[in-house]
Amino acid sequence: MTQVDKNNDDIAISIKNVTQRFGDEGSPESVLALDNISLDIRKGEFVCLLGPSGCGKSTLLNIVGGLFRPSSGSVTVDGRLVDGKPHPDKIAFVFQESTLFPWYTVIENFHIALKFQGIPKSEWDDRAMTALKAVGMASFAKHYPDQLSVGMRQRVNMARGICVKTGILLMDEPFAALDEQTRMVLGEDLSQLLAETGKTIVFVTHSLAEAVFLSDRIAVISARPGKIKTIIDVKTPHPRSPDFMLEPRFSELRNECYALLRDEIRATMALQRDPQPTGA
Amino acid sequence: MTSLTSTQPRSTGSSPLAKMLKSPFWLRVGLIAIVVALLEYYGRFHADPAFMRPPSAVLDAFFTSIVSEPKIISALWLCVMEIAVAYAMAVAFGLLIGLVIGATNFSRAALFPIVLMLFAIPQVAFMPLVIMIFGLGPAAKIAFGFSHGIFPIIVNVVAGMRDVKELHVRGAKSMGASNADVIRHVILPNMVPSLFTGLRLGMTLTLLGVILAELYVSTGGVGYYTRVFAENYNPAPLFALTLCLAVIAIVFNELVRIAENRLTPGKRKAPKIQLSESGK
Repeated sequence: MTQVDKNNDDIAISIKNVTQRFGDEGSPESVLALDNISLDIRKGEFVCLLGPSGCGKSTLLNIVGGLFRPSSGSVTVDGRLVDGKPHPDKIAFVFQESTLFPWYTVIENFHIALKFQGIPKSEWDDRAMTALKAVGMASFAKHYPDQLSVGMRQRVNMARGICVKTGILLMDEPFAALDEQTRMVLGEDLSQLLAETGKTIVFVTHSLAEAVFLSDRIAVISARPGKIKTIIDVKTPHPRSPDFMLEPRFSELRNECYALLRDEIRATMALQRDPQPTGA
Repeated sequence: MTSLTSTQPRSTGSSPLAKMLKSPFWLRVGLIAIVVALLEYYGRFHADPAFMRPPSAVLDAFFTSIVSEPKIISALWLCVMEIAVAYAMAVAFGLLIGLVIGATNFSRAALFPIVLMLFAIPQVAFMPLVIMIFGLGPAAKIAFGFSHGIFPIIVNVVAGMRDVKELHVRGAKSMGASNADVIRHVILPNMVPSLFTGLRLGMTLTLLGVILAELYVSTGGVGYYTRVFAENYNPAPLFALTLCLAVIAIVFNELVRIAENRLTPGKRKAPKIQLSESGK
């Protein structure tokens, strides 16, 4: 897995020249969010999209998941074109923990997800309980999300993404609302899960430590318009233990990411101070 | 004020009186008892009997002039029926109109201001018109109760539909939910707490409308008897009749509150009531 295989069968997601512009080109409100992004993601790979806020990483994830159609360019998943339509049989999303529907109990949240996916009713309980057991939340099936702590809710939310058994999991800052300890514990769980299930995961984050700890590769995205600045190879096999964070290699990678992002963050800040540079 | 039985702080070795003083329930009962006792004292020894009677005389009048008079009992029953019919109509039409207005951004922008404008008008101004159209009988009371009760229901249904979290809709779509699924499993359940806020306010205003119309003009209803007692300077049965109306109002409000507690899934609280459409 260390060598990039050019064989097409090995590619889970192929992003080709994706550009996203909001508003009509030429109008003053027009914003170029993503600028000509191309990236191939192998099967079973964990790729992080890391970048400053507002760089369009979530937009890119939504395009891959078929929730938006890009202005130009294309995305193929398992050789099939994603044409601005969700493919729930191939791709599952995990958003922040608040995506759980508060009007349904934990188990009902699973049922509804499986129902939307068109999975026969007889399998619902089995799949839900298996996924809940995997994250240690089986005894909370009858609880409402509001009765759980934020960390517990995010475990449930992750399990909901897993129970549909798609090959690809897209995670949009799933741990952003969590405190740092919970974030690290859930990160370990995720690494474990990845090693067990062999899913392809694309993970959007702005946490440097999270990106290095979890990823096989980190795609560092520049400030708006979002472009892929560099791709960093982490090369440590999953599952990763917390000891990985103590290795000098971890800090090196983390610092490398930070050095790359620092310029971008300064650029974003300058853009916010002076939204229309006069070209001086 | 929500629960009658609340946990009492354990005080060891104190007298029963001290214990009672520390319980919110007994404090409340005690306060009411003191007010009743003061009224009794004032009514017996100081008040002009043409304008005020002590609570004991009111209680006596309740049995001698209200319960024993089949005409008054049937007038009270009529009042209950008027409220029930007016409220049922307000709920049915309010929900329907609210769902239509809240269905899309376009319909909300076009129609919601009309509702808010009508809601702002003090409807008492139209009372003579209502009497002219619907006559002196129960129809006018029902119409007036309905026209009062419907607006808060519409407003809160619309607010509840707008209040839906974009992340919930995106989450559902990413799982493959159709538009009908989104309405059935996201937008409608999300609206429920807000709907109940509307139902509670609608009940208060329906009661107001019906009782206002009753007191304004009535040929044999509760309003007629209140006028008879008042004009004859006979305050004891007047107070008793007014208390009956108060009890009816409390019972109706409690029914709505119990329904709210039973039927809101996930034990969620309603968002803040929005009476004005600001910005978009």
